[in-house]
Order: sequence, then C-alpha cells, then structure tokens
Amino acid sequence: MASSSPSSSCSSMEKINFRTKVLSRHLNHDPTGDKPFLQCSPCLSYTPPELSEPNSFFDVKLMRKLMDGHNIEDRDWLYNLIVQSKLFNPQEKGGKIFVLPDYNQSMEQQREMTMKRIEYLLDNGVFQGWLTRKGPEAELRKFAFLDVVGIFDHSLAIKIGVHFFLWGGAIQFFGTKRHHDKWLKDTEDYVVKGCFSMTELGHGSNVRGIETITTYDSNTREFIINTPCESAQKYWIGGAANHATHTIVFSQLNINGRNQGVHAFIAQIRDANGNICPNIRIADCGHKIGLNGVDNGRLWFDNVRIPRENLLNSVADVSPDGQYLSAIKDPDQRFAAFLAPLTSGRVTIAVSAIYQSKIGLAIAIRYSLTRRAFSVTPSGPEVLLLDYPSHQRRLLPLLAKTYAMSFGANYLKTLYVKRAPALIKTIHIVSSGFKAALTWHNMRTLQECREACGGQGMKTENRVGHLKGEYDVQSTFEGDNNVLMQQVSKALLAEYVAAKKRNKPFEGLGLEHMNKPSPVIPSQLTSTVMRSIDFEHDMLCLRERDLLNRFASEISQRQAQGESKEHAFVMSYQLAEDLGRAFSDRAIFQTFVDAETTVTDATLKSILGLLRSMYALVTLEEDSAFLRYGYLSVDNAAAVRKEVAKLCRELRPHALSLVSSFGIPDAFLSPIAFNWLETNSWSSAQR
Amino acid sequence: MAPVTPTSSETELILVEEKSSARIWVLNRPKQLNALNFPMVSRLLDLFLETEKDLSVKLIVLKGIGRAFCAGGDVANVVRDISQGNWRLGAHFFRTEFTLNYLIATYSKPQVSILNGIVMGGGAGVSIHGRFRVATENSVFAMPETALGLFPDIGASYFLSKLPGFLGEYVGLTGARLDGAEMLATGLATHFVPAQRISSLEEALYKANSSDLGIISSIISEFSQVPTLKEKSFYHRLTIINKSFSRRTVEDIISTLEREAAGSNDDWILSTIQSLKKASPTSLKISLRSIREGRLQGVGKCLVREYRMVCHVMRGEMSKDFFEGCRAILLDKDRNPKWQPSKLELVSDKMVDRYFSKVDEDDWEDLELPPRSNLPHHAIAKL
Repeated sequence: MASSSPSSSCSSMEKINFRTKVLSRHLNHDPTGDKPFLQCSPCLSYTPPELSEPNSFFDVKLMRKLMDGHNIEDRDWLYNLIVQSKLFNPQEKGGKIFVLPDYNQSMEQQREMTMKRIEYLLDNGVFQGWLTRKGPEAELRKFAFLDVVGIFDHSLAIKIGVHFFLWGGAIQFFGTKRHHDKWLKDTEDYVVKGCFSMTELGHGSNVRGIETITTYDSNTREFIINTPCESAQKYWIGGAANHATHTIVFSQLNINGRNQGVHAFIAQIRDANGNICPNIRIADCGHKIGLNGVDNGRLWFDNVRIPRENLLNSVADVSPDGQYLSAIKDPDQRFAAFLAPLTSGRVTIAVSAIYQSKIGLAIAIRYSLTRRAFSVTPSGPEVLLLDYPSHQRRLLPLLAKTYAMSFGANYLKTLYVKRAPALIKTIHIVSSGFKAALTWHNMRTLQECREACGGQGMKTENRVGHLKGEYDVQSTFEGDNNVLMQQVSKALLAEYVAAKKRNKPFEGLGLEHMNKPSPVIPSQLTSTVMRSIDFEHDMLCLRERDLLNRFASEISQRQAQGESKEHAFVMSYQLAEDLGRAFSDRAIFQTFVDAETTVTDATLKSILGLLRSMYALVTLEEDSAFLRYGYLSVDNAAAVRKEVAKLCRELRPHALSLVSSFGIPDAFLSPIAFNWLETNSWSSAQR
Repeated sequence: MAPVTPTSSETELILVEEKSSARIWVLNRPKQLNALNFPMVSRLLDLFLETEKDLSVKLIVLKGIGRAFCAGGDVANVVRDISQGNWRLGAHFFRTEFTLNYLIATYSKPQVSILNGIVMGGGAGVSIHGRFRVATENSVFAMPETALGLFPDIGASYFLSKLPGFLGEYVGLTGARLDGAEMLATGLATHFVPAQRISSLEEALYKANSSDLGIISSIISEFSQVPTLKEKSFYHRLTIINKSFSRRTVEDIISTLEREAAGSNDDWILSTIQSLKKASPTSLKISLRSIREGRLQGVGKCLVREYRMVCHVMRGEMSKDFFEGCRAILLDKDRNPKWQPSKLELVSDKMVDRYFSKVDEDDWEDLELPPRSNLPHHAIAKL
C-alpha cells in the first residue's frame, strides 16, 4: 500500500478541499440525503462485499463440504446451539449478533463461564458417546464438535479437550476393562472431572525425564506417589486449579529399588464438594497471555496413596505382591507403545490451528473488501484494500496455504480415526510434522491478518489480534514444534537407513519418490509448467530427497569422526529443520492433490488448481533452501515470483467466496467483517 | 389456505388507498380468508416496487378485510396446476411470492402490518419481514405447513430461527397456534394494540406523515397495551421447549418429549407429540434442517434455499406428501393424510439432502433475488 505521507500526485489544496467535504458531510449527515453524493465518497458508506463482489464462480456450499470434510449437519446444529444461548455472550454490533466470550472478565469469572458453557453443552447432549461410542464415525463426530467449540473459544475447547482427550483418552488407551467400566461413563457425564498431570516444572517435552516418583507398598497394596523436589511439581495442569476431581499422574515407577520408567496412575485430587484431598497441594499458574478460561494449576503429591488398581495397566502391571510384569521388556519400546495413542492431542491442535487461520482470514479479507485507503488519482475514490497488489500478496498466499493445510488436517483426522498398529509410525510422524507446520502457519497468518486489519485488529471484539495470544501456546503444548520437527527428521533418517541397509525400496510416508531417479527441472519455467501438478510435485520432492541425502551423509560423517549418534543429531540441527519442513510441505501438497482429484465439479476443480499452484509456488518462493541448494536457478526463482503475483490477481475475484466456503457463521466472525461503520457509529456508542 | 373458488376481478383483490403520505393496501378476498393467489402476489410485488421509487410515500400499511389478515398462499390452486402436469406454474408462483417476501424484508420504507385476525403461512411472509407487526386480541398465528406435507417457506426459516431459544423449531414443526400475546412475547409481533383502537391508530399514523422509525414506533406504542399471557400458554414452557427442540434430529426431539411426558399427564407435551406424529415425516425432517440452516443465514439465502426445497416438493420425486396433505386437509377434508414415507426412520439423510440440492433439470435456475441497494446487514450472511 502507499505510504501514509501525502502523495505528490495530490496537491495539498485538493486535500484540504476533500477534508472539508468529508467534514461537512459528517456534520450535515442526512441518511435519506442524495445517494449519488454519498456514492462518490466511499469512506462514508459501507457496502457489504456480497453486493460489491462478483457472484461466486463456484458452488460455495460444495466447497464448504470439501473444506469441513465431515459432519456438516452436526456442526451446524452445534453452531445453532451456541448462538441460541445467553451463556455464549451474544452481543449486537452493527445490527448483527456476535458470540464471543467476555475476555474483559477476570480470570476467575472466565473460568466459571467456561464451566457453565460445558454444562450447557452437556445438558444438550453434545458429549453423548464421546467415550462410550467407538468407531471412526463416532470419533469424527467428536472432532467436528470440537472444531465448532474451538471456533467459539479456545479455552472452552481446551477444557473439553483435557477432560475427554487427555484424561478420558488416557483411561481408554492406557487403561484396561476395569478402568473403562469404572470411569468412562462417569467421565462422559462429568460425574468426575479429569485432568492430566504430565508436564513438570523441570520437564516438558522430555517426558522420560520427569521426576515424580511412585513406589509400591505390598502390605497395603497401594502405590505411593511423591513429588520429591520443586522441579517435580506438576505444571500447567489444565483443570487442576479449580475444577478437576481426578487426575492422571505420570510418574517414574520404582519397584523393589528398580526404576521401570514412566507409568500413568489415577489419583483423586478433590472430593465431590471440591475440597482438596489430603496430601495433595494445589497452586494456581496465574494469569496467562491466553486461555484464561482454563484453570491451569500446579500439583504436589506428598506420598499420596492410591489403590493398586489405579495403575493404568495396558502395557505393564504390578502384581499384588509387588512383582513388575510387562510383555514388553525393552523400556524404550514400552515407553513408545505407551505414548503412541496420545497423538489425538496433536491431531486436534493441528486441526484447530487451521480453523483459527480461517477465522483470521475470513475477517481480514472481508474487511479488505470494504475498507478503502488512499486514492491513486487526484480526488478520485479511495482504493479498496484488497485491490492493492501488495495487500493481495499479503493475504492470498496465506489463504491458499490455509486451504492446503485444511486438506492436510482432514487427512490427518482420517488417518487418526482409522488407526491400526501398522499405521502408528505414520500417524506419529505425520501428526508431528503437521502439528508444527499448521500451528506455525496459524501464528503467522493471524499476525498478518491483524496487521491487515490495521488498528481495528487491535480490538478484542475483532478477534484476530486476541487469537494470537490465545493460540501462541499451540507451538509449545503436546510437544514443542522444534522438537517435533527434529523427530520427523530423525524418523525420516531411520527410514533412509533401513531402506539403504536392506537395499529395499522406500515405502510409506509418501517417500516412494525416493525410489525414482531425481526429477529433472526445466531450465526455463513457463506459466503452464509452473501450474502443473507434476512440476510442483517434482520441486517439493527434489528438495525433500536432497535434504534427506544431505542429512544422512552429514550424520554418518559425524559418526565416522567418532561423534555419538545423539551428538551428531544435535549438531546437524540446520539440515534437520529444513528437512522437517520439506517433508511437511510435500506431504501437505500431496493431500491437496488427493482432494483435488476427488472433485468432479469443473468450476471447483479449476479454483482448487489455482490455490494448489499458489500453495506450491509460494512455498518455493519462501524457503531459501530452493536457492541455497540450487533446486531453483536464479532465473527460475524470478519466474516463480512473477507467477505468484499473477496468481494473486487471478485469485482476487474469488477472495470472498473462498472465505465464505470456510463455513464459519457470521456470528462467529467479528464486527469489522461486516458493517463496521454502523458498529462504530455514535448512536451505537449510546446504547 | 382456502378452497378454490372463482375470484372476482384482479384489481379488487388488493384495495389501494392513499392517506397523506401513507399507502394502505388491503387484502380483499375475505371468503378465502385473504389467501394469496398468484394475481394478488404479483399485484403486491408491483405495488411494492412502484412505491419504493415514489419519494412522496413515507409509510405502507398492510391489512386484511374480514376475520383474517391472510390465511396463507393459495396452495390448493398451486396443487391443481401441478396435478394438471405443470409444476413449473407452481414454481412461478413461489418464485414471485418469495421475491415479494425478499422485497418486504429489505424494503426502504417502513411497513406497518395490522394483524387483526388469522396470520398463517404466506400471510406471515408479507407481514413478519416488515418493520412493524401489530397484533390484537383477534390475532391467530401459525405455520401449519408440516401438516400439509410442505414446510415453513416464505422466508420462515429466517424469522422462525431468530425467535428466542428453540421456539422457532417448535412453532415451525408443530404448527402451534399463537395468540396476540404470544406473538408479542416471541417477537413475531412488535406491538399489541386492542382491536377497537386500531382505527384510531391508523388515523394517528396517517396524521404523523413521517417515515421516521422512532416516531412511528412511539405512535404505535401510545395505542399499545401489555397483554397477559394465558395460563396455558406454551410461553411458560420455554425450558422444555428448549430442551427438546434443540435436539439434533426430529427423532431425538420426539424421544426427549416422550421422556418428559413419561410419568406425567402433561396435556401440553402430549398434544405437542401428537401434532408431530400427525405431520408428514418428510416435512418434519426438511423443515428442521431448513430452520437450522436458517439460523446461520440471511433472509436472501433462506429464500433461495426454500425455493430449491419447494421445487423438489412440487416435483414429488422423493415424496408426494404435499399433494396428499392438500387432498386430506384442503380438498377432501377427511383430515387423514397417508404420508409416504410413512415413518421418520424411513426418511434417510440422503433423501433430505436432495431437497437442498439444485433441481436437476435443464432450464431450472436458482431463485435470483433482485439486487437491493439498501440491504440491511442483518439480512446478509455469507454461508
């Protein structure tokens, strides 16, 4: 956009005249006044983008179905339920109703509101079958509801997520029948309120290093959980500060003086009246930059005794007389088997990150279709923000990426609900890579959207700015993004080593392209080439393949020089980072192509083609690895850049329909997405 | 919804009066309870279109002659057209009627509808979308379409879904009748004025000679009264209405009501269940879906969707309940329709989906609404 200093094309006299006109119009504002006059002063009127933008070129409803992917009607039902209740703080702004928590309430008030909203959803049967019904269908329904809840408020989604996915999930996956029978139904009905004590002050992503320690007393047949030092206090435990009655405790298990590694136990922390149980100490984590509707707490266990049956014993058990029993002898494997099912957290985080980007983009793009700034001709009408190529370049590539990652998120969900032992490795790697890629993308998108909304982005009611604080934590919880990306690279290396050692082709994770000869990139790129799936796929594969080769050789070189494998990994962090990103980008691209090929509607297909090319080309433009390692020549990099600008122009007319296709009801967006003039009028301020 | 009889000449079906800057349009088909036939709908459309351009007109007053404001669209007529082999004639009727509804919902001049009598179906479509709706002790409001094998159309999925809580689902699915007090309580009416004061109210409005919403509202308020809700009014049952009609499916709604009814002899619940069981299963399912979608949409999108639905209803591909309903209620009057599919569980989600899809015929097109320069933002939704 133009700079804010007076442009030379517009004389200062003209400017003064213009200001006088504007001011006198403000002073003599007559709503029934002559229309033509109002029309030539666009800063004084609001035109809904639905009127000013061309009709949708494709079927928005069809696109929404593709985007949301599943349980459309269930979603709409829950949106209905939310907008219909006073508990969700409906506010009228500019003639429309918006639902949004009152973030100006104190932390304590926000926490109580979160709980009340959960009770309302519970009363209306939203949680029915969340833990007692099995199968992909039930799980997808649950995911759809969590998506919708998260579009309303992050705290609400997290509080529900902790109770069902972490506490409930731990019982489902780590527990056996006796735990299922005892806890699942009561959890679904909120008879017990669960939390999940894994993270400690001293240990987060490195779960194996936690210091809480549990021993067994065969006389009373009880486990004794203890917090031996301050760094072992459980930290950030969602639900612990105010509401939870029970918790899963992760702890080292020490049997007969021998440490058997990390295990999970059930401990009660409050009675039914909310009083804290003996030998439990709880403190608050205090006010946070987001998620203040979640009561994060800190926990200390002072030799808390729990019955033997409270060990979640799917992987290992302790006999009444105190013998440690496990079918898996290797503690490493035991630990992996143990944590594998917990990927649901990464799945829901990745998915919700994309929904937040959708909210941000829907708001920023709708605003950019109604807000004008600067004229390009003297005293001519000011220009719509999104008509500036620079503004298009800021928002539309992020829009295309959001589309791509939305397909990635849908793929991840289906992968997760179809999980089988053979898929565990894939789920782990894909969920790690996608969680990092999608949450980073979300933070970047929200920041850009905030800036694109200018000062209006600062207002909490307009959501975009506030969401940054709310969602920042996503790059940390359930595994720090950097650590996750390193795990992706490590896993890819393991695949590489296995394939080379056994002289077998690569299989799975989309790595089959490694079996083929290295793709050849044309020396001169034309528009047609750049928009072909083949070229885009080749580029992304070329980078992944080369980085994987480089990473493998750097590690083996270091090992040859006598470094340990672990040390070699630590030192090769640059390639590891690049490789993790390369894998995620390529895998996301693949899910886009897969989704695109299922579409039969011609108009939808053509618009998806534009978005897919935008996603691929902007990825080529942004990652310096393409130039650093010469996958793109300098000339080709310039051609790609030009093509991105061209794609911006071509996507511009579809911007409104593309954000409408996100299927987020108006009430969940914000006042600047609609009539911000009326929202901010004096008469509105008087109400 | 009245029996078909030959009508008097078209111009007299709507009486037009001028009082200062107000235009008074009177629905004049009292024997048929002012049911809207095609000539009336298209005449009203013309009147609204012409008058919008007339700068001297500041206020529209719409009322009916006789004991009804308007008992609905003349669907019996439509059914006759269709049974003679041309559902496109029916489509033309609905297209015109829905365009009229849209015009009213986005009209630039205030409209006062005097609802001193029956307001049903199409009658609601020409009044509720307008700015002021005056109920009296004679008002009877209902959306009885599910008993006819149809669904609440004329943009009802918009205004019903905006009622407090889940009243819209209750009113739309059961066809419950509302009196004037209930209309005011739910917000379907903006004012309640005793019938004997209506003529003085009208005089005051004409004298005021104003299009200012605040002035008009305060004039109507001067004649208004706060009515008392009957002891048996459903409005005292909001908790159970919200609890049951918020459910995701019609089956869930009925089973929730049945659970509530179990052990108690609550007449209101029993009759509510009764009316749901008497209604067309297909109608119930598509109506619920329509109202649910309506809650997230603007009035234009609602009408476009309802037009798709009504075309599917008329084509009778999935169900012919509309014809059966009209036969049983309006023509043969045996009040014993044989619905097909006969049970809720026989109406699959796939069948319901079909009602919301485009009609697969070459020259069929979605309802195209006229562009409106003064589109109120509440009328727009992106979905």
